[in-house]
Amino acid sequence: MLDPMDDPTSPWSSAAQIAAAVRGGHVSAVEITRTALERVQSHNPRINAYTDLTAGRALREAAAIDRAQAAGQPLGPLAGVPFAVKNLFDVKGLPTRAGARINRELVPAERDATLISRMNQAGAVLLGTLNMGEYAYDFTGENAHDGPCRNPHDLSRMSGGSSSGCGAATAAGLAPISLGSDTNGSLRVPASLCGVFSLKPTYGRLSRAGTFPFVDSLDHLGPMARSTQDLALAYDAMQGPDPADHACADLPPRASDPMAGIRGLKIAVLDGWFHDNADDLARDAVAAAAAAFAGVTKVSVASFDAAEAARAAAYLVTNSESAGFHLDRLRGRIKDYDPDTRDRFLAGALLPAAWASRAQRVRHWGLQQALELFRSYDLLLAPATPCAAPLSGSKTLRLAGQDLALRPNLGLLSQPFSSIGLPVVTAPIFAPDTLPIGVQLIAAPWREDLTLRAAAFLETSETAAAYPPTVIPPAPARARLH
Amino acid sequence: MDHDAYIDAASAMVGLTIAGEYRPGVARFLAVAAEMAAILEAVPLDDAELALAPVYRPPFPKAEHA
Repeated sequence: MLDPMDDPTSPWSSAAQIAAAVRGGHVSAVEITRTALERVQSHNPRINAYTDLTAGRALREAAAIDRAQAAGQPLGPLAGVPFAVKNLFDVKGLPTRAGARINRELVPAERDATLISRMNQAGAVLLGTLNMGEYAYDFTGENAHDGPCRNPHDLSRMSGGSSSGCGAATAAGLAPISLGSDTNGSLRVPASLCGVFSLKPTYGRLSRAGTFPFVDSLDHLGPMARSTQDLALAYDAMQGPDPADHACADLPPRASDPMAGIRGLKIAVLDGWFHDNADDLARDAVAAAAAAFAGVTKVSVASFDAAEAARAAAYLVTNSESAGFHLDRLRGRIKDYDPDTRDRFLAGALLPAAWASRAQRVRHWGLQQALELFRSYDLLLAPATPCAAPLSGSKTLRLAGQDLALRPNLGLLSQPFSSIGLPVVTAPIFAPDTLPIGVQLIAAPWREDLTLRAAAFLETSETAAAYPPTVIPPAPARARLH
Repeated sequence: MDHDAYIDAASAMVGLTIAGEYRPGVARFLAVAAEMAAILEAVPLDDAELALAPVYRPPFPKAEHA
């Protein structure tokens, strides 16, 4: 019997394995796609990660790859690899719902988002769109219109949000690569709670053109995957300038080299805010990563004293800027909002402008504090979430002896870094059959390469791994590859 | 802070009606925002610390690109 890990149609096949099998003619892209679509149809009802399947399109894309393969044409690095996108990405022919009831009335998108086009150019096949918190204002994965996205490791628990469908689909073997967004932690929180890898690149690295905005000052897009290698493949396929996004940097793509190792890199574990607001499980995950790093390089302890202020700045920029963006809809369509985002949007529309403008200045100040830290260290290490996945429907979070409102606080460890635009990989650290939690690997602006190298090291040292959830039955191995 | 009075005044200023059933939630989030603003007030900002327009880049006429 074949090991399912060697079977490119297995739910746990990596993107790299699938692309190699398709390029080598061992399996057709159509077979990969058909199996992936059947799997989504079979497992999604329990997890609720997908909101639209683009089956016809996926099979057409896959057939085109098979024709190119048969003709001996060069295939891209993601040839035949299924992927899915948070439903705030424009997909030609679909209204861009952004988790909202109101957006279902939009005319269908005329073209794909830039990052979807780039994934397609690399050979990846779009399976569909994924559940998310309404207008991305969410850390829980709950959604009043589409229903909650459930955690594949424990269906009674939150997936995390707002890129809830990304975390759940990738963890459950329903999309080896997914694309989401992160304004305050919306990639890192679900990656942590669902036990997968994510990359939130530097602000301005990846084009946001063709996605429904949340907070222009803070919105980032990025991939999730079950391995660092897959994360890097997707990231490399999507890099490059794009005049259609005013924040996208004019930088040429730079291939990642995640296997370059970490020897000689100076790493610091962040204390203070990142220790005080984490439970024992989160602290243990950081300690495990630090111990692994310490085997080959210098690991110290450092403080990022601007964390709380950077987080507060992100809160106010988010609240004020998003409410300003939504003001017409808040005036005319308030009853159509999710009750769990509604009151926060309304409050944001009433904030004094002076608060928002000071928040922007504090972001700048916080960035200078972080740059000072990067004079001494190459990488910073912190928990991604204060705890593992809370039970669905929870409203409070107990931290440092205090009961806090869960919705605004589940991202309090991720917000300080998106606030100042730093690149962060989230790496999952947990044992099979336990609840996952992730650590953040944080680097100076534009040094995504270091975060990927650190994550790859944690994987090869068997410290980090995206273990499959037991709730998904293993796929039967195919009798024979052809 | 009397959030009800503030909600009345500020919502009238921006032309946003806030129904009674939403008020407790709005007041709660205004209180959170005020806590965040207080944290920012404590940051020792220099007058040179400016980042008020995160991205504002007027496009060049196409001819100048050529």
